[in-house]
Amino acid sequence: MTDQIKIYIPKETSACSVGSDLIAEKITDLTQGYNHISIVRNGSWGAFWLEPFVEIEKDGNRTGVSYLNKETSHLSSIEEFFDDFYNSQPFNIQDIAFIKRQTRLVFSRIGLYDPLDLNQYRNSHGYKGLEKSFEIGQQQTIDEIKKSGLNGRGGAAFPTAIKMQTVFDQESAIKYIACNADEGDGGTFSDRLIMECDPFSLIEGMTIAAYSVGANHGYIYLRSEYPLAKYFLTEAIKILKTKNLLGKNILGTNFTFDIELRIGAGSYVCGEETAMMESIEGKRGLVRSKPPLPAIKGLFNQPTLINNVITLASLSSILSFGTEIFSQYGSGKSIGTMPYQLCGNIKHGGLIEIPFGITLDEMIYDFGAGTFNDKPVHAVQIGGPLGIYLPANLLNTPLTVETLINLKGSLGHGGVIVFDDSTNMALQAKFAMDFCQKESCGKCTPCRIGSVRGVELIDKIYNKTAVNADRILLEELCETLETTSLCAMGGMTPNPVRSIIKYFPNEMMN
Amino acid sequence: MPALHAVQKELGHLDNECIKTLAKSFNISNAEVIDVITYYDDFRLEKEGQYIIKVCQAEACQSLGCRTLLDTLKSHFELDIGQTSNDHSVTLKEVFCLGNCALSPSVMINEDVIGRASSEKILAYLSEKQNISHND
Repeated sequence: MTDQIKIYIPKETSACSVGSDLIAEKITDLTQGYNHISIVRNGSWGAFWLEPFVEIEKDGNRTGVSYLNKETSHLSSIEEFFDDFYNSQPFNIQDIAFIKRQTRLVFSRIGLYDPLDLNQYRNSHGYKGLEKSFEIGQQQTIDEIKKSGLNGRGGAAFPTAIKMQTVFDQESAIKYIACNADEGDGGTFSDRLIMECDPFSLIEGMTIAAYSVGANHGYIYLRSEYPLAKYFLTEAIKILKTKNLLGKNILGTNFTFDIELRIGAGSYVCGEETAMMESIEGKRGLVRSKPPLPAIKGLFNQPTLINNVITLASLSSILSFGTEIFSQYGSGKSIGTMPYQLCGNIKHGGLIEIPFGITLDEMIYDFGAGTFNDKPVHAVQIGGPLGIYLPANLLNTPLTVETLINLKGSLGHGGVIVFDDSTNMALQAKFAMDFCQKESCGKCTPCRIGSVRGVELIDKIYNKTAVNADRILLEELCETLETTSLCAMGGMTPNPVRSIIKYFPNEMMN
Repeated sequence: MPALHAVQKELGHLDNECIKTLAKSFNISNAEVIDVITYYDDFRLEKEGQYIIKVCQAEACQSLGCRTLLDTLKSHFELDIGQTSNDHSVTLKEVFCLGNCALSPSVMINEDVIGRASSEKILAYLSEKQNISHND
């Protein structure tokens, strides 16, 4: 018998955006009739500059080659493909510094295998977390999460266990869990990667959370811009239902849990938890005022646990490997590992899961190999459209929740966007206001009107017609937005604007 | 919302007839249906192009020239943001983040994402798609 050969070709948005599907089609054609060769559509390793990264596993060795600038259309046989592949200096991706230097806990499985292969998932500690949770019970599970020090990864860094405890403590026959998968921040993709490359870990985490707070029905609110994530989640839910891992009597217990996938419709503010609930209820995504907290009165007026994708996926790892896996790293609000997303004008962009505290310097130069077009770094935006811009002389800033708060910003969902010296910072400041104007839900006045006025004022600065009074007015406007908006959309829009005024003052002058 | 998505997927857009039918089946007023439709960018009251080209205009794509890319496409198709060509072949839109930020700039055509996008790449994609449909 001929030895089995596996060819891995990722099926993941970024890989597909640079031609992964075309390669898969070609190789499928070439392997017709070769029974010892199988094609695996794996997830991505998150080293996106290598995509489409094709790997071959043969005699226990797995090596890969980047097909970004390689043609496959001329290949006429699979032998020719193998020759070409092995002449292109294939390497094991786990040996490259970008992957080696990471501490992948939550993202330990991405890229390894077909994300919908449940056997592989279970063979790599999958569902050990839920088994553990069932064994120790609801309160103990919450206690374990508390011990781990996990804070929410959606942006607000709220202690996960406190939310869980609050929902658990509510006396209500109906409780819900909602997974916020409306990853709308520019420069972020970690939720998408989990959903496309390891969807079972999210669903297992959601099941653990649902069990521990006593919820039997869950929603995943997914943004419509992620059609491939929709595909993987839909398929994963189907598979788990047939395997008794969703639905009635999960793993032989008397716990019942179902998940419904809800697709958004292109509204950024629906990533705000109360707007998300409105949207799930079928209404316009208007922000609700808090209190009441969703944990007390949430979806359909019932206690609701709302968590981000990464937070929920983390639960599976914490439960199956023990709380120390997280608590051994970091301190304060920055405990465990953080999946940073390095992107924008960068050579080696991708997912970097590492303990909190890495500096921007290390990230941009050690991981990212500098800017994509070799121009000097001018600014870095951290934490999405509501995050601050830092100048090149502050690249020694360590990325923790606390350091960003001290700089009057937010680590948010961990996006890091690099800009070169051709960037017009006044235009970036204008965009912050413009984005708020376009995406504001319109419920509260500061956000709805303030953003329009903000665009007008910065336009004056951009067109060099601003007078001093305009600058003072802009500062006052920022203060009004910050202190009187209902949610973070209006409340944090001043952050990028103020950071540009502070760190790039010359570019905000006439 | 699942109903709106489903109807739009079948019919391409949500016209008055749809609104009336939906209102009746959910036992709400027409205004309430329109209320929801008009809040969300994805729902459309009018027929759009066969190819909906969404050009990402978020920060990561800005860092690698998405504003210029959008301008080039605007003048190529002679369309402004949100407009549809007369023959209903193309609708041009802006979008904020496709989650493909390490391979900027990104463009989404219907459900396909194109990374490291350029106007040449997009036009090549479209002509290939059109060739395939002509040959069918």
